[in-house]
Amino acid sequence: MRHATPRILALLATLALALAAGACGGSDDEGPSPAKPPATATGPPIRIGAKNFTEQTILGELYRQALEAEGFEVVLKTDVGSTEIIHRALKRGALDMYPEYVGVLLSEVAEVRLRPRRPAAAYEVAKRYEKRGGFTLLAQTPFSDSNALGVMPAFARRHGLRTIADLRRLKGTVKIGALAEFRTRFEGLDGLREVYGLRNLRVSSLASGERYAALQQGDVDVASVFTTEGQLAGEDYVVLKDPRGLFASGHVAPIISDRMLAIHGARLQTAIDAVSKMLTTGAMREMNAAVDLRSRRPADVAREFLQANKLL
Amino acid sequence: MIVGRQQSSLNTGHPYPRGGEPNRAASLADARADSVCATWQGLQFLRSLERAFVLHRSLKTQITTKVVALSAAAAILLGAALVTLIVAVTGQRDAARVAFRSQQALSLANQLEKSLLSIESGLNRYVTTRESRYLGTVTRELAGYPAATRRLVRLVSDDPGQQARVAALSEAIRDYDEFWVKSLIEIVSEDGFEVARSQVETNGGRARLDRVRTQFESLFDRERAVIRAREDAAERGSARAIGLGIGGLALVSTIALGFTLYLRRSVLRPVRTVAEATGRLAAGDLSTRVPAEREDELGELARGFNSMADSLERGREQLEHSNAELTRSNAELEQFASVTSHDLQAPLTTISMYAELLERRRGEPRPGDSDLVDGIRGATQQARALIRDLLEYSRAGRGHLSVEEVPAGQVVDQALEALAGAIEESGAQIVVGELPVVRADRANLCRVFQNLVGNAVKFTGEDTPHVSIDAERDNGQWRFSVSDNGIGMKPDHARRIFEPFQRLHGEEDYPGTGIGLAVCERIVDQLGGRIWVSSSPGQGSVFSFTLPAASPADAEPARVGASA
Repeated sequence: MRHATPRILALLATLALALAAGACGGSDDEGPSPAKPPATATGPPIRIGAKNFTEQTILGELYRQALEAEGFEVVLKTDVGSTEIIHRALKRGALDMYPEYVGVLLSEVAEVRLRPRRPAAAYEVAKRYEKRGGFTLLAQTPFSDSNALGVMPAFARRHGLRTIADLRRLKGTVKIGALAEFRTRFEGLDGLREVYGLRNLRVSSLASGERYAALQQGDVDVASVFTTEGQLAGEDYVVLKDPRGLFASGHVAPIISDRMLAIHGARLQTAIDAVSKMLTTGAMREMNAAVDLRSRRPADVAREFLQANKLL
Repeated sequence: MIVGRQQSSLNTGHPYPRGGEPNRAASLADARADSVCATWQGLQFLRSLERAFVLHRSLKTQITTKVVALSAAAAILLGAALVTLIVAVTGQRDAARVAFRSQQALSLANQLEKSLLSIESGLNRYVTTRESRYLGTVTRELAGYPAATRRLVRLVSDDPGQQARVAALSEAIRDYDEFWVKSLIEIVSEDGFEVARSQVETNGGRARLDRVRTQFESLFDRERAVIRAREDAAERGSARAIGLGIGGLALVSTIALGFTLYLRRSVLRPVRTVAEATGRLAAGDLSTRVPAEREDELGELARGFNSMADSLERGREQLEHSNAELTRSNAELEQFASVTSHDLQAPLTTISMYAELLERRRGEPRPGDSDLVDGIRGATQQARALIRDLLEYSRAGRGHLSVEEVPAGQVVDQALEALAGAIEESGAQIVVGELPVVRADRANLCRVFQNLVGNAVKFTGEDTPHVSIDAERDNGQWRFSVSDNGIGMKPDHARRIFEPFQRLHGEEDYPGTGIGLAVCERIVDQLGGRIWVSSSPGQGSVFSFTLPAASPADAEPARVGASA
């Protein structure tokens, strides 16, 4: 027995190691590793949502990482859906906060068709609207990401297109590649008919990442684009002018529930605003380009930006 | 032993030898004593052997040690095989239980996935067809999933990895519900079906659901892997157990076989050798010995056997030696007795003759002369009678016995005829019962009856003597009895009267030399029977003796008539 005991112990130790290894192996292929323990976390985690395209994902990552650095506990839900979807989730309490475009908020949520031309005024209207629902519109970003219509330069030259109104001159049906909600939005098919009197348009529903490719391959004539998109940085596409102001300014302002603000106080708002005010058009377009054109991960791009701006 | 005592008293008490027979009896007694002695020595040896076993078990028990060691080894091997089997069975049972849980988890997850698909398709149909029944399906399915995910969590509670997967899955399903299903239903009610349809076209729900299904697949894969791993482990365990079991069994069988061979070669064969030697010893071959080189218990046994055989052989040699001595001595004594009794007859006859001549030649006898001569004649006759009886005793049952089937009734008639005078004189009533045919020497048997009946009519009291002669079957022999109503004797004397020249009464009361019953005993002894008396004073006597039956079948004695 005296000789057998160490062997049994060794066996047990091996067994324990094997079990531990098995357990580690089991957790290796889990999802994201748990958030690092927040330094001053109190109360429930802040659930941040992001809509279903690149810029929103980057914005979500920016706010998440900045808040976590400040010690807040954050849950980020990316790719939640369009404004119609995500704003309802916010109202229902499934989310605490998400970054929204002031113009879209006014036209699609508040259903304010006659929107103030000045961004500051539009922001105020939107802010008052959200306040009524128990939400606060935090400070808007310097960058503006408006809806716009883009065409291939050759197409523009051939048809002499400079403004949206020029589309009326095209014979036959004009195919517009856009996200599905474009068909039912004011800043979409509705507004194009109403404001520009375009009757010859047909919307082709595309995912966010498919639009530029469809345009280049000639599957569509026109694409619904966002002005901060990295693809628009060069001369590859022509953005049609909007002389009648259909597409409102696209400054982004985070909407957050008053309840969450009350729980975490001014420190939360300060932390969010600190991120928002750094987001210039150039910065945003650069980050979008990094993800869409250079296949960087949104989380990495956001981290690098925050680090560069001393927010991490 | 009685015979032996008699012999020793004869040897010490009397200077003259008394014929061969007592000496022969003595030699037989010596032989018996020697064989008893040898047996006793053998017993003593066996006892010491037993003591040696008990006292020196630890020193000299090689076979015991081997047997115990082999049994222990077999027991340990069997135990190990059993333990392995139990472990394997337990492993199989655990594996089966885990597999069952995994199957349950798989089935539940499948159900959950189907439920999500029917939610998605129900939602799409609702938005497309605007039929509210599809909404009912959606809400019904939605109500069920939190409980289902909780059950799923419980089913995978033994696997942390799967728990994490189920947690992620639950969250994904919740997100699908919160962000997609609920929002879409709200859009329908607030903005109408058209707006909702444009949302459905974004494929937001389908994409989200695809992600959920990916998570399901990961869950399934992992669960199947778990089942496979457990099954493999259990299979390996059971294969190992079967292997070990078969190996253990083979090993135990080999041990048992080796054990059997060992027992056969090392234990049974030597024991058989000793047994065979014992048989030869019993059959009389006292030179039989067994090999005794071994140092174990069987060596002890063999040495014990050899020592016993030595002892028996020595005993027999001594016996043969004393037997030869006795035979020689007996022959000398017989010759001496025969010569003495024969040679004594002649001078006695001469003395008797001279006494008569003396009587005749004297013309004028002086008073008292006649008495003197009568005295000489009487003493001479008595001496002659003694010598005659001594001669008869020494010859009784000796020499060639012509043993044959003899009708006892005829023999009795012959004896009664010889005793006719004495019977008539005493006026005795003789009753002879049914007597059988026996194996005996006719003349000697006649002598026995003659002596016994003669005694019966001689030792009588005042009543008329009644003598009855009967025979009774007693197993393989016949018991004859001669009963009388005479004077009887004390039970103490019942043995003494069979000794030669032993008399209970004076010569003047009942004449005789006291040799008759001794002769009877000797004859009956020679014929393979025994003789005894039961009697008490004044109550008569019953003399009984046994003789072998002529044949086992002759149950019925031959009928012989009575005579007076």
